Amino acid sequence: MFKIFIVEDELTIRTELKTLLEKYGYECITTDDFTSVLPAIEAASPHLILLDINLPHFDGYHICREIRSHSQIPIIIVTSRNSDVDELMSMNLGADDFITKPYHTQILLARIAALLKRSYQTDHEAQLEHNGVMLSLSDSTITANGQTAELTKNELKILHLLMQNKGTIQSRDELINALWQTDEFIDDNTLTVNINRLRKKLESIGVTNYLKTKRGMGYIV
Amino acid sequence: MKFRQYLKDHWILFLCLFFAMLLISCLLLIMRLSGEGILFINLLVWMFLLIAILIDFIRKKKFYDTVMHNLETLDKKYLLHEMLDPPHFAEGDILCEVLYQCNKSMADEVSVYRNHSKEYREYIETWVHEIKTPIACASLIYENNKTPATQSMYEEILNIENFVEQSLYYARSNYVEKDYVIKSCNLKDIVGTALKQHSKQLIENKTAIEMKQLDVTVFTDSKWVQFILGQLILNAIKYQSPKRLLRLTFTAEKEAQHVSLLIQDNGSGIGEQDIPRVFEQGFTGENGRNFAKSTGMGLFICKKLCGKLGLSIALDSVLGQGTTVTITFPVGNMHVLED
Repeated sequence: MFKIFIVEDELTIRTELKTLLEKYGYECITTDDFTSVLPAIEAASPHLILLDINLPHFDGYHICREIRSHSQIPIIIVTSRNSDVDELMSMNLGADDFITKPYHTQILLARIAALLKRSYQTDHEAQLEHNGVMLSLSDSTITANGQTAELTKNELKILHLLMQNKGTIQSRDELINALWQTDEFIDDNTLTVNINRLRKKLESIGVTNYLKTKRGMGYIV
Repeated sequence: MKFRQYLKDHWILFLCLFFAMLLISCLLLIMRLSGEGILFINLLVWMFLLIAILIDFIRKKKFYDTVMHNLETLDKKYLLHEMLDPPHFAEGDILCEVLYQCNKSMADEVSVYRNHSKEYREYIETWVHEIKTPIACASLIYENNKTPATQSMYEEILNIENFVEQSLYYARSNYVEKDYVIKSCNLKDIVGTALKQHSKQLIENKTAIEMKQLDVTVFTDSKWVQFILGQLILNAIKYQSPKRLLRLTFTAEKEAQHVSLLIQDNGSGIGEQDIPRVFEQGFTGENGRNFAKSTGMGLFICKKLCGKLGLSIALDSVLGQGTTVTITFPVGNMHVLED
């Protein structure tokens, strides 16, 4: 499980962000002592840091510079300042990404996931398994009963999302939104088409009634 | 300055001298000086006077002609004082001094207002950044507690966010040069980011997105263009036709001198009589009466920002069919910041 350190002075944001990230399977560490952020980070040795710029005592730029002087840990700067100049400054100080408040949570989650993937190149999620169906992310295939079928980019993303959230309903809007975040601007009809194709492919390898429709709510596996 | 004007200004001098010479001539006549002698003296005096007048006239004419010439050619007339050489005669000195004092007092007055507006702008910017924290809080709370009630609250929050964003860009629009960075950007990325920023509203309205030949590089500030596109996207959602699902088409057209980005929707369109005025501040038109939420600010700010960024924006529409907004980016990379 990835560990994320949240440096944020606003209590509500900190706790809500923690809840959100924990819901999506990250471990979160925070601090409310802003005089000694750096030792706290070192003690926690997280995989990624979410860093606010406007902080008491030392600002985020200072902390970012200090961290970079001895560590290459991925840093995402989160700020309410949103000019290109601020972004440029963050990048010059060695931050890996820059998100402006109020961020859309989907964008934030997508950026975190992308940065973690880039930095750690993990393959621990390269394969997902649920109810006898094996989804392989690296070659975009599904395997069940010894048979294999290939998935298109969109089908892969849809099934990946559903399997990541197995047992909970994903609404159509959430699925579309997730695809939008990866620059696939599909519409409602396209989603229906993709879901139907996905079902056919599942059937072709002998899996029936795997992807269920919850009328008026969404899909579930 | 004309010689006749100059002579007219000095008529008292000539009159007095004329009478003085008349008196002197009479006196000399009484003193039995010959007629030729008197005539000679008179000629001598008038000749010296003429020389003195000519020298004085030429000097003044040179000065005042420069003044008038500068006044006509200067773009900013208040800089006139800076352009003058010291005249070395009393009237000219006075004129310079007056100009200088007037300018100085005006500059003081202007700087008072400049400070006022700077303070105000800084306050707005700070306020916008402050308000973003509670907005971010509220969005996160919604994300962690999704119910129908928080869902509709969140939609309102998105509205608030847009209005806040508008005010920030409006406050900045007078000082764009302070925080923009021109870089080479791909139109596909800019459009993509703008779409993602408004994905929630777009997806809820079941929008179909189409992108045509967007893989084009332009030189501009992506943040500002994203904001402009965001305003256009929100307009498309706001003024969509109730008869059909919203369809947004983004098309790039590359030409020798410029790249055009066309943003087309299939919404309710704008009446012909309203089109020429859509970019005016506070103009809402027919659609403003039909849709309660119009403020008449969105397109106004877009136009203003486009002007500052060196882009041109145009709008075309057919009532009941849809609207097309065209943003034109000049081609050329003279002002690119290396990164």
